[in-house]
Amino acid sequence: MARLLGLLLICLWPLATLSANEVLVVGASDQAGMRSFAQALQVRRGNDQVRFQPVSSLPPPSQLSRDLRLILLDRAALQWRMSESAGPRALLMRVSRVEAEQLLGADRPGYLSLLWNDPPLARQLRLTRLLMPQARRIGVLYGQHSHFLLNELRQAARPLGLEIVAQHWPDLRDSRPLQQVLADSDVLLGLDDPDLYNAKTAKNVLLSSYGRQMALIGPNAGFVRAGALASTYSDQDDWLAVLDQLLDQPPARWPRSLYPAHYGVSGNQQVARALGLEPIDPQAAALALAAGESTP
Amino acid sequence: MLSGTPPFPRLLLLTALLGGPAVADDLFIDNQDLPQVLTATRLKQSAAGVPGSMTVLDSQLIRASGARDIPELLRLVPGMMIGYSASNQPTVNYHGSNVSEARRMQVLIDGRSVYRAGLATVDWSDIPVALEDIERIEVFRGPNTVSYGANALMAVVNILTRSPADSQGTRLKLSRGADGVNDFYASQGLGWEGGDLRLSMSGQEDDGFDHDQSGTDYRDSRRLNRINLSVLQQLASNQTLEWQLAAKEGSNQRPYTYQPVFPYVTARGNNADVKAKDYAGSLRWNIDFNDQHSLYVQGSAQHFDRQQVWRACDAALSFSPALTRLWQLDSNYAEQVARNIVNPPANNNPALQALRDQVKTQWDSQGGSQVVCGDVDQSTRETRYDLEIQDTLSLTDNLRLLSGANFRYDQADSQTYFNGTLSDQTWRLFGQLEWRADKHWIIQGGTMFEDSRLSGSSLTPRLAVNYLITPRHGLRAVYSEAVRSPDMFENNVNWSYTVNNLSPYQPGLGRGEYFVKTRGPGDLDQERMRSRELGYNGSFSEIGLNLDLKVFYDEISGMISEPLRNNQYIASNSNKARFSGSELQLDWRLGQRDRLRLTYAYVDAWASNRNDSEASARNSGSAGWLRDWGDGWSSALFYYGDDALNQYRYERVDLRLAKRLRIRRSNLELAALWQQRLDDEPITLAQNRYDSRQRLSVSAELEF
Repeated sequence: MARLLGLLLICLWPLATLSANEVLVVGASDQAGMRSFAQALQVRRGNDQVRFQPVSSLPPPSQLSRDLRLILLDRAALQWRMSESAGPRALLMRVSRVEAEQLLGADRPGYLSLLWNDPPLARQLRLTRLLMPQARRIGVLYGQHSHFLLNELRQAARPLGLEIVAQHWPDLRDSRPLQQVLADSDVLLGLDDPDLYNAKTAKNVLLSSYGRQMALIGPNAGFVRAGALASTYSDQDDWLAVLDQLLDQPPARWPRSLYPAHYGVSGNQQVARALGLEPIDPQAAALALAAGESTP
Repeated sequence: MLSGTPPFPRLLLLTALLGGPAVADDLFIDNQDLPQVLTATRLKQSAAGVPGSMTVLDSQLIRASGARDIPELLRLVPGMMIGYSASNQPTVNYHGSNVSEARRMQVLIDGRSVYRAGLATVDWSDIPVALEDIERIEVFRGPNTVSYGANALMAVVNILTRSPADSQGTRLKLSRGADGVNDFYASQGLGWEGGDLRLSMSGQEDDGFDHDQSGTDYRDSRRLNRINLSVLQQLASNQTLEWQLAAKEGSNQRPYTYQPVFPYVTARGNNADVKAKDYAGSLRWNIDFNDQHSLYVQGSAQHFDRQQVWRACDAALSFSPALTRLWQLDSNYAEQVARNIVNPPANNNPALQALRDQVKTQWDSQGGSQVVCGDVDQSTRETRYDLEIQDTLSLTDNLRLLSGANFRYDQADSQTYFNGTLSDQTWRLFGQLEWRADKHWIIQGGTMFEDSRLSGSSLTPRLAVNYLITPRHGLRAVYSEAVRSPDMFENNVNWSYTVNNLSPYQPGLGRGEYFVKTRGPGDLDQERMRSRELGYNGSFSEIGLNLDLKVFYDEISGMISEPLRNNQYIASNSNKARFSGSELQLDWRLGQRDRLRLTYAYVDAWASNRNDSEASARNSGSAGWLRDWGDGWSSALFYYGDDALNQYRYERVDLRLAKRLRIRRSNLELAALWQQRLDDEPITLAQNRYDSRQRLSVSAELEF
């Protein structure tokens, strides 16, 4: 019944709202978090019609109006959109570089705009330099799916005068690569690669680095609570601001991919104290980072 | 990728720890199911906030030093006095006290004390741990019974082995060198879902010192083998179980040192070698109830077995019951009679005179002067069980409470020293509060109550105030009191020799009871230390320099100083000692290739008993330069020196050159260590001498 109603709604939708943009937020299932995100976006975009719909209630993408603005919130939504190449353009959210590489490889459909959820490497490097100006050698562990980020990381490090000490970590049960990178570097920078940084490995990585009185920067804000020193991150408010700007533009002008220009800094004060560092002022750190951020 | 807008750092302040419910619901914050790993209970004070002086010997230093034994490594710790009774009997004292004994320092391996309570000593050569298994050594320079229990009187050496999780793969190492150095090490690390283990085997051999002061060959070789198993298991996301097993067997040569009491005895034995076996097992359960509360329970069992049976010769009169009786009545007079048996002095006391006459008759006409040899059994077996529970509670972000209890059972078994078995039980309660009053002031104080069945109870307080000028630069003032319990030997010795297998056979004598017998006083009090310290710890991170300075004034009262000898051993608490001075420790990483390290200690020692000030060098220290030359080449140059330990100067320069080669997926390190003495003095004692000032050793280590 709900399906039928949904279908009816979609069919009637273009008739009902001719002047405003229609924004469809899509996710795997009907979750409170996704609904409240859609509601928050509606508040922000007063003129637009913003709705959340689970994948299961949607027709194939080609049956949707090409003027519809699609926002995909998860993997199921992406698969649904990719089931056909015809259909409206879409903003894919909550996707990291590593996930995109795994899911899409080099094949990036033209109708997708990828809004990266992992902290940009250059920003993380600048945060590292800001908090630990004496650190020169940046230790980086990488796995099979994050290897492709190294070149970009090295390019970002060069103008900052930082050296990337990269170490492949193929087997998480064997900690020797972790020990090696800790021995050869001044600070550890986490790539947002869930193969390497997850609930199972967090303890080993954090205890080993702290055992050597070394800080971990990143890989994301969730790790800061676990014991990383700091990370940049963008939360829902940041993303709403980013979407606000994107939705003002016609979909044809959406970028192929984008890191959010709105962000904050999260720091773990207890860890900073135990490592003998100055307390982290998130506001000041974010401002200092912004001052150095290049604008296109 | 494009960024269509200038960056907008969000000025909305998020809670530092991202703990708020709004954030927890945020679709865009990843990994909210992660466990909190570095909790307030796990994080320790930064170097500038440590309530005392600390030296950390990290794995880079340990490897670069080329040291084979822990005491040699401890030369890198300011104020540490490294001496040798023989090459296989090192003695380590912080600031000083007796040169042939090191009774006032606590030594722990992964939280398990290896201080032998029975004989108040640490057998450095026999500790069942291989240097290659050690991740780092933390030396707490100063008394700290609040954290480590009685016997942490002058310093605490905390040996931390590498976690099994960091020991994966295979390591093989062989060393050869001058003085018969022949060492091996082999380890294998394995990991599985939720657990890791390391099994290692190691062995050491060397000839020790070459000759004594008279030029004769010095009998102090050693040979040992060890096996260690260390396992870490993850029971749940908040619980771990660590267990270790260790065993060591070996033999330590000892020269024959018995001096016959009676004249005309020329026969002698040729050694007093010791067969030493150590066994240890420990189990530790850690649990984090939440990010503010954690607890561990550690239990350990240890057994120290020292088999020392050696052949000694003297006149048959040594076993005379009449002489024994005379010793018990007046040991001074008995010794005079024995040493002058041809014409013993008379005595006014009729009872003593009668015994004197009886002994004289035995010497002259009843075979008392006949030389007999027999087996002396100086073996000891000690067993220890230890159970500790420690709770860490983070009351607020700035207030942490450590508290716990400990129970220890010690048993010593020796026919010679204790006439059987002696045991002791010790209870300990401790608590320590760390309060970060504001961003500058840290106040840490605590107390320990200990009650031992043999030596009574004590209460020791400790208070430290740190002022952090910045997070990396701190000043500290520390006052602490500490105690050392007299060990079973000092307090309760019941020393007598029963000599077996007498030859030639003495009719009626059977097993010979040697006439000298010694009893400990049984009522000794604890030694008490009062220590005051002012210090500075700073890290100049922009140039990679770490600096620690301190001045100290320590007093020990009720000191038990008498040497552990069996003629007229009367232990008492009648002595005192004072140590004052200053220490410097500098660690400077110049760029990525060079590391400089400097330590220096000035110690002014005074002791009411001369023996207690001889192990203090007024000036001592070390200097090191470690360099990575690239292409796998590295070098380490170290200087160690002290101006006079037991009146002997000691200066040495070590150069270690190493080349690391990558062969397929394995690493091979070839290293050579050149040690050059800069003086010709013996080491600590007159008999400890090498033939040459130079020693060379080489090693090869393969990891895959």
